[in-house]
Amino acid sequence: MIKVVNLRKNYGRLEALKSISFEVEKGSVFGFIGRNGAGKTTTMNILTGLIRFNGGEIFIKGKDFLKNKQELVRSIGYLPETPTFYNYMNAYEYLNFIGKIIGYDLKKSRKSVGRLLETVKLAKQGKRRIGGYSRGMKQRLALAVAFMNSPEILFLDEPASALDPEGRMEMLEIIEGLKDNKITIFLSTHILNDADRVCDKICIIDEGKILLTKNLSRLHETYIQPIFDVEFEEDPGDEVNLLKKLNWVESIKENGRRISIYVKDIGYAKKEILKEISKLNVNVTGYQVRKSTLEDIFMRMVSKNEII
Amino acid sequence: MRSFKAYFKKEILESARTNKYLILFVGTVFWALMDPLMLKLLPLLLKNYLPADLAVLFSTFTRDTAFQTFLKDLFQIGTLFIVFSLMGLLSNEVYLKKLVFPYSRGANPTGVVLAKYIHHAATISLFILIAFLTNYFYINRLFTGGILSIEIALKSSLLYILYYSVLLSILLYLSSLFRRGLVAGISVLVFVYSLSIFNRFKVVRAYLPNYLLLKANDIGHIFDNSLIPTVIVSFSLIILLVFFSILRMKKVDVA
Repeated sequence: MIKVVNLRKNYGRLEALKSISFEVEKGSVFGFIGRNGAGKTTTMNILTGLIRFNGGEIFIKGKDFLKNKQELVRSIGYLPETPTFYNYMNAYEYLNFIGKIIGYDLKKSRKSVGRLLETVKLAKQGKRRIGGYSRGMKQRLALAVAFMNSPEILFLDEPASALDPEGRMEMLEIIEGLKDNKITIFLSTHILNDADRVCDKICIIDEGKILLTKNLSRLHETYIQPIFDVEFEEDPGDEVNLLKKLNWVESIKENGRRISIYVKDIGYAKKEILKEISKLNVNVTGYQVRKSTLEDIFMRMVSKNEII
Repeated sequence: MRSFKAYFKKEILESARTNKYLILFVGTVFWALMDPLMLKLLPLLLKNYLPADLAVLFSTFTRDTAFQTFLKDLFQIGTLFIVFSLMGLLSNEVYLKKLVFPYSRGANPTGVVLAKYIHHAATISLFILIAFLTNYFYINRLFTGGILSIEIALKSSLLYILYYSVLLSILLYLSSLFRRGLVAGISVLVFVYSLSIFNRFKVVRAYLPNYLLLKANDIGHIFDNSLIPTVIVSFSLIILLVFFSILRMKKVDVA
């Protein structure tokens, strides 16, 4: 559905995207994750035709994006991270305005706008000026704009960032619903639990480079290495350095009395880890082996920042 | 055409709700009302404070001189109102990221730019026409003498309309170049006020839009052959600058 080949984007001397390539299958949810400034929003802005790019090729629905931009953007819906509207309009007026751009006639526009505002739960506030909306309400209105004209591809940039927990859950349910309707979703998020729940494929981007692109199930299989969480009676301090020196230990994440040990060799670690911990001059109060989450995988990838 | 219609309606709504119509109305029609009144009332209000020779000067105002005073004020103050209220025509849309949704849903930059230009050119033209007719009405009530007629007032208003249409096209283009509307506004003001320097040079002035204002002031000889190059240059400038604004808006990064 979307094919990106060696995409490059520069802002002056800064290389925002360094020849990135990936593919998004039709009807899938593609999770695009990365730190702030990694290049997620830049990529989305390019793919929605809002900014130009310096090199590479983009194909959407098999068509060259540059040559067919005007036609292709009509099948795309975009929810930006910080949506901006004409604040003097109300939600009905704004959606009708976008409807006119899309090419709705008055009857279709009225029907569609009413239904969309019901879907995003803004029907009651639809006649209020947008300038008076909260950030969450603006986010929901932006979602209604993105849904207009039933797009085949949806780009969602941090869709839950401004929502309360209830709104976030609703957003995830909406995404799952869209997935059932075979809509292709390009989801940028830093809430990795959300990506874990709804995405089919994960792409990790850092400093303008793609570090990894994998199906979520394959990702868990490949990086399923467990993490050893240990809790001490008191802060272990420098005692942890003894563990760091062991050649089968990859890294240790310290958090007060708790440490998480990432290992290179699972089999060996399982045999040796308790022996090594017992050598430390601190009492152990807890020990558990945890399956690595998407967050753990992400942290590993971006700290290495090298292509796997 | 879809984008043109959508943006034309949006510009009407925006101008009404953000008081742009009111500001433009005050900047044009207000002076048409106030100028003749002030010219008539000032000598009466200040008769005890003015030296005799200055008081005589006030009493010699005819309909023609009253009309020319209005034209001068409209250029000096009306231009400020028009430029400062419309300086963010395109720059604000880009800088405040208002075009993200419309562009992502397929808005056509040609329609957007044309809708903005045509709407504001029509608004300014209408207000100028109202201003000239209002001014003519009051001048006829308050002053005597001179050769001013409705035909002269309408001819003069046409030249002002053309002048402000050129000014609007310059503003539109600079607004597409700069991210800040204020920079575009000040650049336009510096440009149009400095063009007045060329009024002294007969060979050059007929090719510059400011000559339209000179001729509008020339009561009795408003339309003559000397206006032909000015009108051609003015229309060419409008077409070129609107075209360049469209090109710019097709290439600009809106996010």
